[in-house]
Amino acid sequence: MTAFEGVLFDGVRAAGLPVQVHAEGDEVLIASAIEEPRSVARDQIIADAPIPGVPRLLRLPGGELIQTDAHEAVASLWPPKDFISRAAFAIESRWWAALTGLVLTAGVVWLIVAFVLPFAAEPVSRRISPAVEAFMGQQTLEILDRTIFAPSTLTEEKTEELEEKYAQFVDGEDAQSYRLAFRHAGMPNALALPGGIIVVTDEMVLATENDAEFLAVVAHEIGHVRGHHAMRLVLQGSGVAVLMTALAGDAVGTTILAAALPAVLLRTRYSRQFESEADDYAFAMLKRHGQSPQAFADMMRRLRLRKDAKEEPDSLLQYLSTHPATEERIQRAEQQR
Amino acid sequence: MSELSARGTAALTTYRFDFIGRTGEYFRIWVVSLFLSVVTLGIYSAWGKVRKKRYLYSHTELDGTGFEFRATPLAILRGRVIALVLLGGFALSGHVLPIMQLVFIIILLALTPWIVVAASRFNARNSAWRNITFSFSGGFWEAARVFLGLGALAVVTLGLMYPYARMRRARFIIEHHRFGDTQIRADLMAGGFILAYLLAALMFIGIMVLFVAAMVGLVFTAGAAARHQPSGMASLAPVAVLYVAYIAVYAFLRAQIGNLTLNGVVLGPLRCRSTLRVRDLVWLYLSNIVAVLATLGLATAWVTIRMARYRARNLYLIGEATPEVFMGTATSAGSATGSEVSDLFDVDVSL
Repeated sequence: MTAFEGVLFDGVRAAGLPVQVHAEGDEVLIASAIEEPRSVARDQIIADAPIPGVPRLLRLPGGELIQTDAHEAVASLWPPKDFISRAAFAIESRWWAALTGLVLTAGVVWLIVAFVLPFAAEPVSRRISPAVEAFMGQQTLEILDRTIFAPSTLTEEKTEELEEKYAQFVDGEDAQSYRLAFRHAGMPNALALPGGIIVVTDEMVLATENDAEFLAVVAHEIGHVRGHHAMRLVLQGSGVAVLMTALAGDAVGTTILAAALPAVLLRTRYSRQFESEADDYAFAMLKRHGQSPQAFADMMRRLRLRKDAKEEPDSLLQYLSTHPATEERIQRAEQQR
Repeated sequence: MSELSARGTAALTTYRFDFIGRTGEYFRIWVVSLFLSVVTLGIYSAWGKVRKKRYLYSHTELDGTGFEFRATPLAILRGRVIALVLLGGFALSGHVLPIMQLVFIIILLALTPWIVVAASRFNARNSAWRNITFSFSGGFWEAARVFLGLGALAVVTLGLMYPYARMRRARFIIEHHRFGDTQIRADLMAGGFILAYLLAALMFIGIMVLFVAAMVGLVFTAGAAARHQPSGMASLAPVAVLYVAYIAVYAFLRAQIGNLTLNGVVLGPLRCRSTLRVRDLVWLYLSNIVAVLATLGLATAWVTIRMARYRARNLYLIGEATPEVFMGTATSAGSATGSEVSDLFDVDVSL
């Protein structure tokens, strides 16, 4: 026989009635100071799922409720049936189990971020129809044209000369996948948009001292196109966003910032990885065409010395940067020479 | 009060809310929720949510009895799946076709009244105290008028009508709630809301003026001496200052609007009394952010517990009757979809 005390709430009045519960076999006897004891079949009573530190609630057939702190008695009389609640309760009750879960969580999150997302995004990005990619690229270019780009101010001669060099360079390298475009933007830059649009700014063209340097820039952007980096960044970024939303689901109010920071850090990490990948592609492509990656290093050096070059962030802020450190990129180029 | 003494029953009693949850216990429930959610690809998150809410509810006590959260994990899971499909569509649409994002925002706006009503109904029906449940009876069209109609009015008046819209939102939510058989009343005036937002706006303008003045002064004094740009971490300092100022204004509004709203809640013979203080909230918010960032998010459980404790210990029920006068009535559970959609998209359905 098991006996324990509890408080009965009848669901009609907001007042509790202290009761004694006696369980004998399949019968449960409920007695109080003011009512006749009554008998209820044990399997007619539904116990809630146990949670450490939370009083147990027993629901009686008529909608009445008994609240009790007799955890052991309730657990032995009404053992939780569903597997999920049993497993959760078992881990929650033990510090070592909960902390093991924490370590495993950190490991799984790291696996997802470092391997699963990049690994999964790659084949997906290749399967996206070229029409969709081209459309996205066109949309992006239109927005850029309306906001930060102006028509190129290069002479027609210069443009034609560069396009000829470019045509020679990409000949036999699945040239129909890329399209070269020049724009005026106020600073040296080059970018690869989805669908293979490679934009080189006038200032970038003027910053290059010879054809080899121009081709190094183009080769880097072709690396982005070949690797579908724009698409993969979108996919991986979305994956991180979903993961962070799931993990920080109950971050309250202002602490939500704490969830945004890792998302930003991971995005820039992916971006840096893609930059290095595009660099590698560029070095290999330059060598295939009998050019030296030294041109890439020379140009990076010169860009760094320009007045309008952004200052290299110090060590901590490096993690917020979308590009690897310039010095590192120069060194890698020179090693490939 | 004069009314009470006239009737000769001046016995006003104060009933305290309290929160007696413990960080260590809650931390384990939180961690297990995180862990099992990750290894079950999010499916467990519905169970985790129910267990966390049950822990928090049951340790929030009024007159010595804890509250009860009754929702079933399956109802929450169903809502989460729908919310996730919406969120996924929203996130992807923006990348493929920016115009789609606009369409999604319009759809979401049109859904707002439904989300508010469904979430309130679900949460009310699944909240109980002493085996008596809450219920919510607000309708879609009234919600549309209050949230969309007055929201639009606030926009076209460049925010001037926002305090009024905010008050009407709070009133809509409060006065459609019942506790058992007792209809809850809202005793709210627009005046307090207008004053609170006016002061917040003045604080904000004052901070911006001071900030710009300080920046200009800094640039002139430092710029003349050494012509070098503030580099690296130093350039983050102004951002940090602005952030702290933003938190202060935010805390001010939370305390003011929270007190105004809760003090307007009348349950039959009892009335709520809320005593949130701005300086307490500033401290809590700032230390929360530091703790969460410094522990890579692990302090989230501690933050939840201390906020629940602060809120509960600053809330009272005052009146000439005991809470035992409330009577119950039978209700059924609502759909969880509204609640989950509002969770994921962070639609403000709070008071």
